[in-house]
Amino acid sequence: MVTTEQHDPLTIYGMEYDSRLLLGTARYESPHQLADAVTAADPAMLTVSVRRQTSGGMDASQSFWNILRATGRTILPNTAGCHSAREAINTAQMARELFATNLIKLEVIGDEVNLQPDPFGLVEAATELIKLGFQVLPYCTEDWVLCMRLMDAGCEVLMPWAAPIGTGQGPRNPIGLRELRQRAPHIPMIVDAGLGLPSHACQVMEWGFDGVLLNTAVSRAIEPVRMASAFAAGVKAGRDGYLAGPMSVQQMAVASTPEIGRPFATI
Amino acid sequence: MSLTVNGKPEPLPEPPVLSALLQRLSLKPPFALARNGEFVPRDQYAMCGLYPGDEIEIVHPAAGG
Repeated sequence: MVTTEQHDPLTIYGMEYDSRLLLGTARYESPHQLADAVTAADPAMLTVSVRRQTSGGMDASQSFWNILRATGRTILPNTAGCHSAREAINTAQMARELFATNLIKLEVIGDEVNLQPDPFGLVEAATELIKLGFQVLPYCTEDWVLCMRLMDAGCEVLMPWAAPIGTGQGPRNPIGLRELRQRAPHIPMIVDAGLGLPSHACQVMEWGFDGVLLNTAVSRAIEPVRMASAFAAGVKAGRDGYLAGPMSVQQMAVASTPEIGRPFATI
Repeated sequence: MSLTVNGKPEPLPEPPVLSALLQRLSLKPPFALARNGEFVPRDQYAMCGLYPGDEIEIVHPAAGG
C-alpha cells in the first residue's frame, strides 16, 4: 500500500486538476463508447472542436453537447485544421462563445503532410489571443526558440508534440524533448500528439513532463475503454517514477544481493 | 443576389441583417458564427448588416482531438 502519496495537482492557468491526462473526443465508434472512455481515463480535460453541422444534423450536435456537459469535465476547444493565424484567432473566438471558456488549444498547421505546427503563425496567433484574454495552450514542436517565443507571448503552458498527429509513433526526438524539459523546468508542459502506447505516456511522464494529451491512441484501439484505463495507469506510473527520483545509471554491474556472508566464500 | 452559408448559396434575408437570416434558418443553439472570416459576437447579430457575396460560417460543438 502506498502511504507516501501526496496531493500532486496539475496546474493550468491557475486551476488545479487531479488528473494529468487530457483526452480527445474524436473518432470513437459511438457516443456511448466516448462516455465510457472518459470514465476509464478520468481526464482533466476533454478536447473538442467547432465544425459546420454535418449529415448527423442538429440532433447529433446537441447529443454530443449533452454528453460533454454530462461528463462534468473541463472543456478545451481546439483550432484544429486552421492554417493561418487569422483563421485560428477567429475559430478561437467562436469556440469561446460556444463553450464559455477562455481556454484554447491553439493549432496552426504549417504542413498538410505531417500536420506540423506553423511556428510563425502560432506565435502570431498566441500573441493576439492572449491580448484578447484567452488562456492559450499551444500545440508546438520541441523547438526551443519557438517555445521561448510562446512563453514571451504569455503562454503559461506548452504542448510539444511527440510525433505527428494520429501516428502513434511515440516520442520521435527524445533528446530534444528532454532538453526542452530541462531548459524550462517550471512551465507546465503537456506532450500532445503522436503517442500510441501507454508506455509512451509513461516514458514522457518519467522525463518530467506534466501531462499528456491523447485521442487516436485511445479511440482507435481495438478496445478503447480498456486502452483509456491503460493510459491512465501509464501516466500515473510515469509521474510516480519521476517524483520518486530514478537511480543513476551505472556503467558496470553492481550486485544487489550483499556479498557479506555468502556461502562458499573464501575468507 | 445571394450570400453563402457554410459554402452553400442562400438568398439575402429581409431585412438584410444577420438576425433575420438566423431566424429563417431556424437554428437551435449552441452555435457561433463568422462573417467573411471574422467572428461576430452573439450580441451583434441584430446590428450586423448583410451584403451580396457575404460568406457566413456557422459552427457547432463537435468532436476534436
